[in-house]
Amino acid sequence: MDLNKCIGCQTCTVACKTQWTNRNGREYMYWNNVETYPGTGYPKNWMELGGGFDAAGDLQPGVIPNLEADYGVPWDYNYESLMGGQADSNTFHPHVSPTWGPNWDEDEGAGMFPQDNYFFYLPRICNHCTNPGCLSACPRDAIFKREEDGVVLVDLDRCQGYRYCIAGCPYKKIYFNPKISKSEKCILCFPRVEQGLPPACAQQCVGRIRFVGFLDDEESQVHKLVHKYKVALGLRSDYGTQPNVYYIPPTESPAKFDAEGKIIEGSTRLPIEELEKLFGPAVHDAIKTLKAEMKKRKETGVSELMDLLIAYQHSDMFRLDNNYYQQVAKENKRNPLAPVDTRYIAGKFTTKGHTQTLFGGHTAGGHH
Amino acid sequence: MKKLLTSILSLGVAASAALAAEPLITAAKVANVNDASVWEKAKFETVTLYPQTAIEFNDKKANELTAKAKAKKAQVAAVHDGKNIALMVKWADKTKDVQGIKCSDTYSDGFAVQFAAATKKPQPLPYIGMGSEGRPVIVHLQKATSKVYEPNGNKDVGMQINRQQTGVFGKELADFDAKVAALANTDFERVFVAEGFRSLTEIKDKSVQSNASMTYVPGGWNGSLVRPLKDQYVNLGGTVPVSIAVWDGTNMGRNGLKNLSSWVAINLEGQKPNAAMVAELTTDAKGDAAKGKEAAMTNGCNGCHQLEATDAKSFMGPALHNAGGYSTAAYLRESILKPSAVVVPGYNRNAHANTPWYNIEKGKRVSTMTDFSFLDKETVDNIVAYLKTLKAEAE
Repeated sequence: MDLNKCIGCQTCTVACKTQWTNRNGREYMYWNNVETYPGTGYPKNWMELGGGFDAAGDLQPGVIPNLEADYGVPWDYNYESLMGGQADSNTFHPHVSPTWGPNWDEDEGAGMFPQDNYFFYLPRICNHCTNPGCLSACPRDAIFKREEDGVVLVDLDRCQGYRYCIAGCPYKKIYFNPKISKSEKCILCFPRVEQGLPPACAQQCVGRIRFVGFLDDEESQVHKLVHKYKVALGLRSDYGTQPNVYYIPPTESPAKFDAEGKIIEGSTRLPIEELEKLFGPAVHDAIKTLKAEMKKRKETGVSELMDLLIAYQHSDMFRLDNNYYQQVAKENKRNPLAPVDTRYIAGKFTTKGHTQTLFGGHTAGGHH
Repeated sequence: MKKLLTSILSLGVAASAALAAEPLITAAKVANVNDASVWEKAKFETVTLYPQTAIEFNDKKANELTAKAKAKKAQVAAVHDGKNIALMVKWADKTKDVQGIKCSDTYSDGFAVQFAAATKKPQPLPYIGMGSEGRPVIVHLQKATSKVYEPNGNKDVGMQINRQQTGVFGKELADFDAKVAALANTDFERVFVAEGFRSLTEIKDKSVQSNASMTYVPGGWNGSLVRPLKDQYVNLGGTVPVSIAVWDGTNMGRNGLKNLSSWVAINLEGQKPNAAMVAELTTDAKGDAAKGKEAAMTNGCNGCHQLEATDAKSFMGPALHNAGGYSTAAYLRESILKPSAVVVPGYNRNAHANTPWYNIEKGKRVSTMTDFSFLDKETVDNIVAYLKTLKAEAE
């Protein structure tokens, strides 16, 4: 996720919500949310709620957030009375009195306006960690990490709603569904990914900040950003869960103003300490690389990293592999479904022979 | 002086152990176990339920609430009619906690009754915490919940959308609401079969014909369970070992955060009791607890186990400061002599990677505990007697 490009429009949030969480006790959940940083985040002060591992590798105790105080009860309006023509400005009201909700402190940030205030947007989904806190906390083995791609899922048949997973996740990205009394979380849109399609949040991202692929696929954008250029870093990797969502830290921030409202040359509003807190000490090198490549691009017009980050084509951001999943299905005798959309399929298991002709002779599939 | 102190100590230990002997429950033969009046004449016995503290969970608030958890006393009676057995469990609970559907961090009160699948031999009975490999248990769980709506159970996908998204108003919307309400399951009653905690599997095919219910009376709950004496999972007769657990929602109780009893013997009236089972479950452990404590220290038990409530915590072996309450002497003895016979579920190995309390060899969990079968019988008896003294006081 390229934080230099995120505009906080919440299109990802809406894409996820309409796809997965607007019903059945999931109403309060945001499998994807975009929060203002610095800020309280969602749920409120999630970084202070424990979970994750200490240096010795011991799972840390955590707190399960409260629906009203920490998540916010989702409110709805009395549309019915509006439809019936009985409503006026006095009678149109939310069904609960809102006291808290996600983005309650949107765009507030920190510092003093106009001298040195600052903020940036931090989109968050489940990190599908390599060492998941939720999985380690579950006493029922109801959480598993898929061997084929590392997606972390809840086995809803085994889950008994104990909620230790919520305490164990340092990102508080697993939620309790009170309606079915089970835990639920971001599934990385695995039904889409298996068809070679990016998750809904990434597909809909208007800022083109989200790259999706397999980290061990050297041709993938994510491999280049994370391993080749090392400009994408895990969020709060100090929690010890080895998160698999990587962020390009924000490198650009305006200068501060002095008391007379004049620009303080060479100053920057975004304190590096904040970025170090989020992304660890490697953030210094990442920013250095990003700035150097930006300069190189300006001067020479050539930079593979900048071209990658610009993402000229939507399809240039994703490298998934439908045929890979078909092979997994075949090996495990599961039912391999036909791909719905092959535009993003460019993995090592995908051959040209797989491309198909869609509407009006437009050829899809393969790498564009 | 030292000698005197030791004898005072052992006296104290002996006295507390004598008080703690588990009662023998007699299930009167009645005409029909479903007749509510049978409980008027039934004889209730006091069963002590100890806080489960073998492992500490990672819920900070719950751990604070249960840090000084005490044992609870429950009144338990049973009746049978030759076909079915019924149990009534009464326990004190000042607050009625019903998990609502509008909260993320509330928990229900509840109770469970555990039956051993094989009941002929008292040694060994299944591990008290959801059985153990090769020694299955059946667990009946009843929780106090408001309506539970599980839409996927009946393939009623059309009822899964929010009312605001139905696109209908007025009477049609009211009809929709009524349909959804009708689909809601009002009873959180579950039956599980397990051979150790992680294998706990819900029986969903209705192959167990049981009925559990909970009623709140001022100051506490009355929980009842009726189940057949025989079905494909159990064949109960003569003497039936059961174990009772209760959860308190106020203390954020769920799964292991509960109070549970040791195996308790129920004699079915009119049937030949299993004398060995009764003896096993109602007599105190032989042995000198004071000497056992010394032996536990010399053998380094506290290197991996938290023994007394005041000892340091360890992620290595299960904490034993309530083991005397909910474990049978036979189980404690077996764990010393054959540590891998039952490997307590414990922590996910991923949660405490540096203190693995078992390894997996050929697909089986093998305890990392030293085999203490070299100890002489008397020392083992003494250690067991000491371990039997490790338990919280009752409320």
